[in-house]
Order: sequence, then C-alpha cells, then structure tokens
Amino acid sequence: MDAAAAAAALGATPAAGAPPPVAAAGEQQAAPRAERLSAGVQQQLNLEGMRARAVGLYKAISRILEDFDVIARTNPGASPKWQDVLGQFSMVSMELFNIVEDIKNVSKVFVVYPRNVNAENATILPVMLSSKLLPEMEVEEATKREHLLSGIANLPVPTQIEKLKARIDMIGSACETAEKVIAECRKSYGLGARQGANLGPTLDKAQAAKIQEQENLLRAAVNYGEGLRVPGDQRQPHSSLPSHLVEVLPFGDGAQNFGDNSGVYPKNTSTFAPNSANTQGNPIQASGGQLLGRPAPSPGATGTPNFENVSTPPMPYANSPRSGANMMNTPSPQQHLTPQQQRQKLMHASQQQQLHAQQQQLHSQQQLRPSAAGMLAQSTIPQLQDLQGQAQQKLQVPGQQQMQYNQALSQQFQNRQMQPGRMQPGMSQSQLNQGNQLRSHLGQFTGAANSAMFTAAQASSNSQMMANMPGTMQSQSLLPQMQYGLTGGHPQRSHPSQMLTDQMFGMGATNTTSMMGMQQQQQQGVYGNMQAGAQNMQQGMVGLQNQTQNPNFPQQRQQNQQ
Amino acid sequence: MECVVQGIIETQHVEALEVLLQGLSGVPKERVRVHELCLKSGPNLGVVPSEVRLLCDLAQPTPSWTIRHVGGSMRGAGAEQISVLVRTVVESKASKNVLHYFYTIGYKLDHELLKIGFAFRFHRGAQITVTVTSANKMAKLHATDEAVPVTPGIQLVEITAPAAADNYNDVASAVTAFCEYLAPLLHLSKPGNTTGIVPTAGAAAASLMSSGGGKTL
Repeated sequence: MDAAAAAAALGATPAAGAPPPVAAAGEQQAAPRAERLSAGVQQQLNLEGMRARAVGLYKAISRILEDFDVIARTNPGASPKWQDVLGQFSMVSMELFNIVEDIKNVSKVFVVYPRNVNAENATILPVMLSSKLLPEMEVEEATKREHLLSGIANLPVPTQIEKLKARIDMIGSACETAEKVIAECRKSYGLGARQGANLGPTLDKAQAAKIQEQENLLRAAVNYGEGLRVPGDQRQPHSSLPSHLVEVLPFGDGAQNFGDNSGVYPKNTSTFAPNSANTQGNPIQASGGQLLGRPAPSPGATGTPNFENVSTPPMPYANSPRSGANMMNTPSPQQHLTPQQQRQKLMHASQQQQLHAQQQQLHSQQQLRPSAAGMLAQSTIPQLQDLQGQAQQKLQVPGQQQMQYNQALSQQFQNRQMQPGRMQPGMSQSQLNQGNQLRSHLGQFTGAANSAMFTAAQASSNSQMMANMPGTMQSQSLLPQMQYGLTGGHPQRSHPSQMLTDQMFGMGATNTTSMMGMQQQQQQGVYGNMQAGAQNMQQGMVGLQNQTQNPNFPQQRQQNQQ
Repeated sequence: MECVVQGIIETQHVEALEVLLQGLSGVPKERVRVHELCLKSGPNLGVVPSEVRLLCDLAQPTPSWTIRHVGGSMRGAGAEQISVLVRTVVESKASKNVLHYFYTIGYKLDHELLKIGFAFRFHRGAQITVTVTSANKMAKLHATDEAVPVTPGIQLVEITAPAAADNYNDVASAVTAFCEYLAPLLHLSKPGNTTGIVPTAGAAAASLMSSGGGKTL
C-alpha cells in the first residue's frame, strides 16, 4: 500500500480506537460523566489492547518506510532486501487484518468522528464521511448490478434471490474444491503450509546439524527426562534444600532412610546441624541422629530409590491429632494432690499440664474405685431427660476439681442424649472443646469468679448456663464427699449425666434451656467415651483429662438425692 | 485433554518473541519458574510403571504445587491430520506434602527439571497458553539455585490449550491459526517431531526489537 493510503488508514484507526465511545444505550448524558463502553462491547473488544496494537502497527509501518527512506537516501541505486521486506510486510498485514477483523465485530457501536478539522482535511472530510458513493463508484456499481441481474431482472424478487443464492453456492463449492486440490498438491510436492519458507538464506550444514542436535537434547530433556537423570550414587543430599522443599522433605525422610543410606548417613550428619535449623519446630523425635531436613536422597546412596523400608510411620507431627490418649500412656507420678495444690496447678499450668494433672488425679480416683471399670460395661441408655426432672438437687461441691469436673460434665452430659448409666464419672466425657472449656472451668477458681464460666458459656453459646454457675461456687465443698455415695441404684455410680444435671440444677434456678443448649453442643463429645468396656476407662481418662475431672461426681449425685 | 505443540527458538531471539507475543495476546506476561519433579512408580505399584509430574511454582511468594499426569496421545489417521498433538492430561493443585506423599506410597524420583521463563495466557479461539522457558538441569539433587541450562543457546516454546473430547478439533485449529502468527520466528510441531529453527528469524526479531516510533507520516 502506498504511503498515503497507509497514513490514511492509520490516521483513521487511532481515531476509531480512542474516540469518545458510544454509550450502549445510545443515550448521551448531558452531565459530564465518564462514558464507558457497555460490558458486552468491552468483552468483545479490548479497547486498550486494540489501541496498543494499532499504535504498534503504526510504528511498525513507519519503521519500514523509514528503512526505505534511508536506503533511498544513502544509496539511491540499491534496492532493499526484498526477502526481509516481504517478511515484515506479511507480519504487518497480518496484524492489520486482525485488528480490522476485531473491530468489524463491534463496528456497529462505533462511529468515526473527526477529531481535528483543519485546512488540510476540510475539503476531503465531507467526502470521507458521506455515505453516498462517489460518482465513479456509483457507475461501477450500476454496471455490476446490471451484469449480475441480466438474465433474471424480469423475474419476481424472491426468484432472483434464489438464483443468486444458487450461484453463490456453486462458486463456494468451486472454491473449496480448488483449495483441496491446492492443498493436496502442496502436500505431494512437500511445500508445506506456508509459502516461501524455503526462500532466503539457509543455514550451512554444520550449523544446522549443531542446532538439530541441541534441539534433540532439549526436547528429549523436557519431554522424557533424558540427560537429567542423576545416577543413584550421585544423588547425594544437597547441603541446603531450596526453601520450597525444606518443609516438605524432612518429614519422614529420616525414618525412611534409616538403614538405607549407611553410606550417606555419616555424610549427612555433618550437614545435619544446619538443616535442623530449618526444621521449624519439627516435632519429630526419633533417636538422635535422625536426619531432619535432609533432602530427599530417599533414592539414597544405595543407588536406587529405595522406599521399601518405610515401615515405621513418621513420628507424629504437629498436625496429627493430639488426642488425649497420648497422655494416657505417660505414667503419672503424682497420685495424690491436695485440692489446694490441684487448684493452683490447674490454674497456672498450661492446658496440657492441666489435663495431665487431672489425669493424674483421676488416676488416683480410679485407684480408689477399681470396680469402676466394670461399670463401664453396663451402659444403660441415659436419661438425660430424667435429669430435667431432678431439679432440686443442691450442688455440693467439696473441691475445686470436682467442681470443675462437674460443670464440665454437666455441660457435656446435658448435651448427650444417650449415656450409659454406669460410666465412671468423667470417663464418659470425651474431648469437647476441651481447651476453652477446660480452662474456663479451671479459671473459675482463680477468683475470677464466674468469668471463666462465662467464657465457657459463651463457648457453648449458651449464656443461660452462666446464670446457674454462681450457685456452684458455694457448693464446691460438698463434692469430694460425694465420691462414695451414688444413686441410681448403683452403689458407686449414678448416671453421670444425672449427676451433672443435678448439679446444674443445684446451681440455682434450674434452667432447662441452658442444658439443652449445651446438649447440642457437646453431645458428640461425650458420645465418644460412652462405650462399654473396660477399655473405655482409658478412653474416659482421656476424655477426662481434657475436661475437668469429676471424680466425685457420683457421690455428689448420691448426696443430692439423698 | 490438551492440544500441544512445541518449538524451539534461539535464546537471542527470545526477547523478540516476547514482544510479538505481547502484541498478539494483549495480556501481561507471567514469570515462570517451575521446579518439575518427575516421579516414576516403583515395581510394587502395579504392572505398568506410571509417571507423575509434580510442579512446584516458585514464582509466587508461597510455592504452590501441582500434580500433573500426562496420558497417551491420540493416535490414528485422524490424529495424523491434525498438526497439534492431542493428549490426555490430568492436573490438580496439591498441598506441599504431595512430594512426601508420593514418596511414601512408593514413587521414586526419576528426574527433575527447573524451567525458567515466561508465559502468556489468553483467549483466541481457545484458551491458549504460550510458555517460553529454558530447561535447566541440576547437578546436585534439588539444587535449584545451581541449575544450568540443558541447552544454553536454545529455549523451548510450548503452546498448549485445554480441550475436551468434543471440541478438540476446534481447539486444534485455533492453536494452529495462532501458530501461524509465530511463523516468522519459529516453527512449531508436535512434541515428538523436530523442527529446526527459522533461518530468517534474525530479521524478524530485528524488526520486532527495533525501537519503533519512526517519523510521523
């Protein structure tokens, strides 16, 4: 295209590309508002991108023309390298074609709007903007139309349309067959889809061979991993893992590689120290020398990635469920704590310690009542509902821990619909929201009065429970004494839930709703331990330690009822 | 499923290719830095060894892991007529424990690769992703900081587009059409076939890279 046409085309495109866009609704707001393209148009046409492309195209064309100019100026006799020029031209024309195509899709919503009328274009603008054809074009169109309709002008219009359609179809099919023939010929002659690919400079053989070889290397490496496999004996752990692997690999790696990489092991120990710093509190506690943070030569020194020794699961992580059962396994040295000691310990210790202490206490309690285990086997369907009726039991809390236990139990049990009646108190409690409630229970004895209970209540989303709590404070002293008298027909046991509810009731105004509220929340937790069987004692212990202990729960009940 | 073609380009022309892709796609380029671990299943995991690739995206502040399983490619007369490779692919995001998990169930590291480069994702008839990366290998296990390119002078260009069984023809033609635009700079083909480089890529690259903004017409 010559320079003028190019300029005109380019001049028009930016104008179309960055005009005040037409509002989709066609309404022009009088007030000065930012006008935007409608969402639909915006989806079809990325205006900014279009502008960028148009500007890029403009620059490319001007560059080409400039090159021509330079050549013409410096060396009038020379001609440009046509191969390059053709290549650049093809790109430019391709890009222009794309831009025009994209704009055509949305041209309906756009209007060409002359930005700048000056002496230069004042005369030509009306002509460009008018939709009436130029006289020559008009004549042309008339002759073409005549030629087209020569044979059928006299027929009715629909027939004319049909005949024209038939002609179009014929031409279309002719074109398709022609394309097919051309494509087949191309294939048979090996020309490939793109014309002119073989013109121009070709690489000399040596260079081409080198490049071919490199290409094969690269493709094989990416697709199949050729040339990337490190032999096993060289798969030594790197001194420092990249950050994204540091956290991932050490876990279990040491366990896996124990015994595998005897050869590697000693080497790794030297690198162990820096890596251990990376373990980020990895709770793996294998025997000393575990290769924490060692990168994954789980392939290892033996030459083959050898994972068959992964028999021992990795040590429990921080993310493994920290069930109370773990603490069960540690023997509790303390067997007898005075209530005072227990209270202080519970109050000041961390949660685990609290659990532990409670567990210990429970142990002590357990020892006093060895027959309790047998109770577990007998689970009668609980009567939480019955508890409701026992409203007048005074809550006598002899000791703090019992109080805590009671209240925790009460919360829990009231949520349970089913409870074996013969559970040892506290055994039936599985883990609730132990932490919060536990601490909150414990906290009540710090003198913060009911604040802890309040927190517990909030945790259980049942503030009504709090109203009952104040009553418990006074009755604490009675709890320890209740250890040995159980109601419910069992010498040592009463339904823990009954006990709890009684206490709850005893705490003041009976508040059925509060219990119900707690029931919902804690039902699940208590269920867990309500399994018959002596084994459940252990589990119950677990549960217990997570909540406040209530060794005196049964006794309390008995007293209450008596 | 995905349609994929690959090509190579000389490293000196990568910038020009970036300019071209930027112009064609209209989206900003994304950095690519992927640590690819290729795991093969051990003998205890079935008769046929399977291969799984774990991709760790290191370009983000927190690395994100992806599992990728590449299945067989379409075969037959129909497949030969299509100029792209159509193959089944399953990809999924995973947590960072995925490597440990695969090790635990018996997969072993076959090879690893570090890909550094950039990518463009855009929609042009189909959702197309063009990735230009240099493949780097690590002499020491997992030493991503010390990775050296497998072929320093050549980088890999990969164009992929997700497809389904019912529309892969359209996707393939969209990919092919887009590849035409890259013809001045590189040839693209199915991953198994070699292409060579474009002899005139230098000129095309020069024109792309020239600063432009010539005199106003």
